[in-house]
Amino acid sequence: MFDPFFAWLESTSFSVWMRESPSLFSFPIILAVHTIGLGLLAGINVALDLRMLGFAARVPLAEFRRLWPFLWLGLWLNVLSGLALLAAYPTKALTNPVFYIKLALIAVALLILRSVRRFWPADETAPAILQRRSIKPLAIASLVCWAGAITAGRFLAYTYIRLMVDSRPVPRPWMP
Amino acid sequence: MGGFQIWLHRKLASATIVAAFMRSDWAWPAVESIHFIGLTLLFGTIVVWDLRLLGLLKRVSIAELHRLVPFAVLGFVINATSGSMFLMTEPNQYVYNPAFQFKLLLVAIAGVNVLVFYATVFRRLRLLAPGVEAPRSVKLFGATSLICWIGVIVCGRLITFYRPGLCRAGEPLAFLVECIPPLSSR
Repeated sequence: MFDPFFAWLESTSFSVWMRESPSLFSFPIILAVHTIGLGLLAGINVALDLRMLGFAARVPLAEFRRLWPFLWLGLWLNVLSGLALLAAYPTKALTNPVFYIKLALIAVALLILRSVRRFWPADETAPAILQRRSIKPLAIASLVCWAGAITAGRFLAYTYIRLMVDSRPVPRPWMP
Repeated sequence: MGGFQIWLHRKLASATIVAAFMRSDWAWPAVESIHFIGLTLLFGTIVVWDLRLLGLLKRVSIAELHRLVPFAVLGFVINATSGSMFLMTEPNQYVYNPAFQFKLLLVAIAGVNVLVFYATVFRRLRLLAPGVEAPRSVKLFGATSLICWIGVIVCGRLITFYRPGLCRAGEPLAFLVECIPPLSSR
């Protein structure tokens, strides 16, 4: 149904440049940036989750506010590099159910991140730490979502059905 | 170096049990996922730690934040193990790969950096009260670590774009071999 759209996107000069340019600064570096963004966003979020689970418990949660810009940096690096990678192979990603699983897991992880932010009081003396019990399941859910999103992301390279709009579908026995 | 690389290649290739496991269905992608989860654990906790050394989270006690460092070590152990499994399966794709060689160099620099850090400033740093900025020498350790680990990620992702080909017959081997020598190709 979306084949005309995929065909158009794959024929744009940016998409062709991403796939075919011999430059290190097209696909390879953008892929590397996507991994650094992953390290910043998911990585710092993991550190936060560990703190919420009670490790390094005497580090004031309020101080983690200062990490927020780095989480944003990681998120934007990955939105932009992710869109570039998607433009390179739109059919490959968008016809693979695993891609939507990855996006859904990232969405849940980001919602958890946003919802736990209220536990980082601007004022250290605020009694938000008392609510630690309700925060732990969220921290565990966040860890599970990021691990799942990373795994789904890795499996994209092995589960795609069509590489490009005019390529022959790869038989995947587990797909109906 | 060439002799060492060929020796290493042979040694790694002798781990046939690991290679057989890695060639089974879904093992390679699963271990790759674990490698990326390890990366997240290592990089995330190290970034927070390095930013503290650089003066960003000044009000956090160094001694308290240090409790996150074991998770970075765990991430490193996960990745050294999963990484070795790739090496034992396709040794010639790594031993002669310039991106992989550079990656290992950066890991080694990060390793020396952390050893010197613990041997010199760490003990005094631990006693630093929250709110006090770390001295400039300490910032250098933080910056070195951050740059190295970013470089490790970049080189790691570039491995696949620098796959070595077979060396041409009769060609003398360079100091650092970046093609697969004929004698050791199986």
